[in-house]
Amino acid sequence: MNDETTPLGSIHVSPRAIASIAYHATLLSYGVVGLTSKNLVNGIAQVLVKDPTYGVEVIYDGQNINIELYVIIEYGTRIKSVTESIIHTVRFQVEKALGMPVSEVNVHVRGLRISNFD
Amino acid sequence: MSVDSSKNRRRESLQQKPVDGRSLKRLIEASLAWLRTNQQIVNSLNVFPVPDGDTGTNMVLTMQAAFDEINGTPEHNFGKLAHAVAHGALMGARGNSGVILSQLWRGFARAVDNNATLDTATLVQALAAARDTAYKGVVRPVEGTILTVAKDVAAAIEKAVAEASSPENMDLIGLLDLMVEAANISVEHTPELLPVLKEAGVVDSGGKGLFYILEGMQRHVDGLPLDTALSAVVPLANMALENTLASIEPGQDYEVVVDFRPTEDLDLINFYRNLEDMGTSIQVGEGDGLYRLHIHVPTEKLYHPINYTRTLGTVTKVAIENLVDQVENAAESCGEEKITLSPIEPGQNAVIAVAPGSGIGRVFASLGVAGIVEGGQTMNPSTQEIIRAFENLPTDKIILLPNNKNIILTARAAAELTVKQVAVIPSRSVPQGLAAMMRLIPDGDFESVVTEMTGALDDVETGEVTIATRSVEIDGVQVEEGQIIALHNGKLVLAAASLEDACLGLLEKAHADHFELITLFYGGNIPKTEAFRIADVIRLRFSKQEIEVQEGCQPHYQFIISIE
Repeated sequence: MNDETTPLGSIHVSPRAIASIAYHATLLSYGVVGLTSKNLVNGIAQVLVKDPTYGVEVIYDGQNINIELYVIIEYGTRIKSVTESIIHTVRFQVEKALGMPVSEVNVHVRGLRISNFD
Repeated sequence: MSVDSSKNRRRESLQQKPVDGRSLKRLIEASLAWLRTNQQIVNSLNVFPVPDGDTGTNMVLTMQAAFDEINGTPEHNFGKLAHAVAHGALMGARGNSGVILSQLWRGFARAVDNNATLDTATLVQALAAARDTAYKGVVRPVEGTILTVAKDVAAAIEKAVAEASSPENMDLIGLLDLMVEAANISVEHTPELLPVLKEAGVVDSGGKGLFYILEGMQRHVDGLPLDTALSAVVPLANMALENTLASIEPGQDYEVVVDFRPTEDLDLINFYRNLEDMGTSIQVGEGDGLYRLHIHVPTEKLYHPINYTRTLGTVTKVAIENLVDQVENAAESCGEEKITLSPIEPGQNAVIAVAPGSGIGRVFASLGVAGIVEGGQTMNPSTQEIIRAFENLPTDKIILLPNNKNIILTARAAAELTVKQVAVIPSRSVPQGLAAMMRLIPDGDFESVVTEMTGALDDVETGEVTIATRSVEIDGVQVEEGQIIALHNGKLVLAAASLEDACLGLLEKAHADHFELITLFYGGNIPKTEAFRIADVIRLRFSKQEIEVQEGCQPHYQFIISIE
């Protein structure tokens, strides 16, 4: 519900819309193999789901937009670099689409997918 | 001839030797050196989505970490060293392309396992494993990137080996040639796969970086130098075309700029000789195989440079400007001359100002700002643009002047995105920003300078004069579309029929007679003579105040007025 009032009327963008932008930007980032739900701490990580906001949480407190991402990363990639690049991409894409600054993007690595051991 | 024969002798002697760990070490060193030499070219390709505009640098840092891992080890086993390279690349992986590069090495290393030397069959497997590992790292692989280049290289080698009569006797150096060739073709093809690249007129940067890594190995095999870039002309980004207008001689009626890709290597000496027959002010730039020719020609030779470059290769873009007309209008148009920014010493306080017009930018520059971001009403800069203005400055103490209430938030977001110490001074208008600039002490204590500058914001009253785009009533002021309106500190105070009435009324409302200095910044939408005429009218009314007129070049606002 990010409100902007113009003389002609007001614009509302729901957090869900922002979440789907963030979701797609995350999946395009190299090293991410999926998103997972915030509460699914123990279960098997569900890697591919249809809901375009799964694993994304957008919090808007009237001033700041905070985005929380719960991701699964490919084993063997450098997690720090991968997550930094997710933060950049998501922030860029959301700000580009929204025209509003994003104050925080937090990436929570919920698991690793292991395709090959070294 | 002699170069070729020494090249061949070197190749023959290298062919006799097995490719072991020592060879790998030298190959990695060469690819790192060559990538570093071409780092800026790779960086400059990075024009699209730009979350990271530094692919070349990231890849160099990744390869550097990989090389550091094996440099100085006594190990000779190819496989073990390949694992060390992969480990180093993983630890040093920077940015998207760095991570992908580290995955390529990881897959490669796993396939060569513990083999003491590299043979053809293992190379084929290793390239395939590198590709597969890299593709596993992403759910939706984007084609037309470094991934595609890795895939095409692996495919080319697989095909060549499958078609060979005796694969086990294939020469690894020949395969390296094939890899370089396949990488090059693949890189050139990336714009066909990724429309954003095509729109920007570039090839993929990560793919190009991978090509340089392979080409560096090939150049090592051939004993070619690795520390000098190939282009004998300046990089495109360094072409100084801004000041050419100032040096127009008679007979130079048009400026022609042609971008072209030569089909064969350009013979620069002949090229220049032919151009000199056509015109003057010749400059040639090169970047990634694309040449940019800049020349001034007389009217009758207007199309000669275009026709001439067409005989050399594919012309991709042509721009022609009428210089005579431009020079005649130069006095009229808003100054496009280059703004010179103050150099910053390490550790100094550096100010970045957002300026809505080039004239205002120049005023800020004259007061000592270290960087200017263009933006203002209806053209807010992004956080990235703001960060880019200061991230390369040699200091950690950054002060931002947003100069518009809509940009303060963006500036604050930019401040959170960097490791540097950034203070945002919430200046809501250009006059406030200028007032704050007056208090800047470059070598002063950061905190107290920021406090001092923030305090200066209230020293100044801001007036803005523009044309109403529609009829409305705000704050008790009735406005008809097309009327001139005046805002005092962001609040609408009056509507008037003429610019001078609006300015005078505004100054009355702001109690300008209690102040000392009134500065008018006139916009790009009002002629200079008109601005000076209005200033004279104001001078008559406010005879005790000093009136200054500055070219502001801002859009939308006829006047931004600072009252202090």
